[in-house]
Amino acid sequence: MTDTSLDGRSNTSPPRDAATPPAPKVSIQNRAYFPWLLMAPTLIILLVVGIFPFGYSIYLASTNIILSRPQLDTFFLGLEQYQDLMQDPQFFNALRITFIYTITAVFIEFWAGLGLALLFKRNIRGKAVYRLLLLLPMVIPPLVVGLIWRYMLFPNSGLISFYSNEIATFLNIAPPTFLSAPGSALRTLIFIDVWQWTAFMFLILSAGLAAIPPEPYEAAEIDGASSWRVFWTITLPMLRPAILIAVVIRTMDAFRTYDQIAVLTAGGPGNSTETLNIWLTNLGFRFFNVSKAAALSLVIFVIIVVLSFVFVKVLSRTSIEERE
Amino acid sequence: MRQDLSSITSPDAPEEERNWWVHAILGLASAIASLPVIWIVLTAFMSRETAQSMPPQWIFQPTLDAFRELIIERDMLYFMMNSAIVAVASTILSVTLGMFCAYALARFDFVGKDDVAFWILTNRMMPAVAIVLPMFLIFQTVNLLDTRIGLIILYTAMQLPFVVWMLKGYFEEVPRQLEEIALVDGDTWLGAFRRVVLPMMTPAITATAIFVLILSWNEYAFAFFLTGSEAKTLPPAVVTFAVNAEVSWDVLGAACLIITAPIMIFVIAVQRQFISGLSMGLVR
Repeated sequence: MTDTSLDGRSNTSPPRDAATPPAPKVSIQNRAYFPWLLMAPTLIILLVVGIFPFGYSIYLASTNIILSRPQLDTFFLGLEQYQDLMQDPQFFNALRITFIYTITAVFIEFWAGLGLALLFKRNIRGKAVYRLLLLLPMVIPPLVVGLIWRYMLFPNSGLISFYSNEIATFLNIAPPTFLSAPGSALRTLIFIDVWQWTAFMFLILSAGLAAIPPEPYEAAEIDGASSWRVFWTITLPMLRPAILIAVVIRTMDAFRTYDQIAVLTAGGPGNSTETLNIWLTNLGFRFFNVSKAAALSLVIFVIIVVLSFVFVKVLSRTSIEERE
Repeated sequence: MRQDLSSITSPDAPEEERNWWVHAILGLASAIASLPVIWIVLTAFMSRETAQSMPPQWIFQPTLDAFRELIIERDMLYFMMNSAIVAVASTILSVTLGMFCAYALARFDFVGKDDVAFWILTNRMMPAVAIVLPMFLIFQTVNLLDTRIGLIILYTAMQLPFVVWMLKGYFEEVPRQLEEIALVDGDTWLGAFRRVVLPMMTPAITATAIFVLILSWNEYAFAFFLTGSEAKTLPPAVVTFAVNAEVSWDVLGAACLIITAPIMIFVIAVQRQFISGLSMGLVR
């Protein structure tokens, strides 16, 4: 009975009863087109809204259209836009900043989230209150996060600027900069990402910790293993699936971050916080260089597909290991 | 299989923790996490003078002036209505259509199944800003710029991959024999789906729908570039006047609260279904 399924092939092989032929009403599922019929609306929408802009981007990237200079004749350039992009130091700058932002933020979020999840395994008074406060940043729209920090970091009059200036005066040191200096702006943005998303890591890793059976811990206790050793040899390995899911989701999202950066720095000062996404919108909507922007969007797409392909492979491999 | 949040984060520990450093760390982390939120909420109820006063005032006479200004002078209710229409419509569309697609991927074996599933996922991986420019030019030609319909179509497409991948995993958990029994009993496929599969999927579908609703409500990049005055939703509306020099902090605080509050209230109201649906997927 276990191999009975709704699709045609396996449904025909084990007849339920030799005397009664399959009920006629089941027949629609036996047609090969049935799953495609169910998927059709989704696939059509994704084709229209996904593939169509994609094709349009390929066309745009092969031309030299700059919307602010409509008098220019449109030329077919072939792959020249991509070549230009590969020789543009601004491209590598944006790539570097995107990777620094993503890797640093996810790294800190992971260890902070894991630390909090481990602390929460202890029996602590007031746990519910701590958890509520910790989860607050996660439920706020990224855009609002940007606005809140813009407001608090506003030079001189923002809450944080004000108090940090006071402290700096008291200690007789130079007041710290947040968004106004090239070096600190990226650090500030990373801090804000950590501020918002550590709770996400905390939640998923907590769920992972709860799923670890108690037996290995009991065995370790009998062996008298140190808590450090227990952490490295039991907790971390058994947490692997949860870690992977949390890190993958967060990496993809951090790579895509747009709202906060757009509202907080828009890529500045200079181009010290100009991630690929920010540069892309600047190219398209500030300089109206739509062809170059289209070429860049396709390059970003390729990077993301390669990254996600690797992630999906890694994830499906661990989920198979889990089942075995 | 279902777990609520408290059992995820608190397996039974024998005695209460007395280490002061645990409370020091958690207290500090909670303060860092919550203070900015608390501050923006306080600001929303400040008068203009209080909001701009130096040093910052933590204790003050609350007022609703900022909300009054937003609603009367800046048409916030209109933008809120746009947001609500676009978010609800795209949620209903994407969850309904995505559900059938997820079911097909979970239940049937057909050639190219994994490729279709992965292709659907890649649509979600494209950063919004990477398609916003061609979308802008396409919307311009088909007259969908600055319309709610345009945003609804776009958000539906944007959420479909997420819905499909969320629900696919849950559908795989529902034993297929259940439907087969219903089919053998002479039910139509749709009848079996509705009476047997859907009830089991309700927590998962609810959790997915809540997620989608939040994402659509919060969406900023598309809405900012593709709407003008007619179909503008809350996030771009708030940004247009928040970066404006004449806007003061009390109004900004109130605007942040207006975007965030409806979703917060909604999430608190349905949190039990949300968490049980979520953990059904997480802690399988």
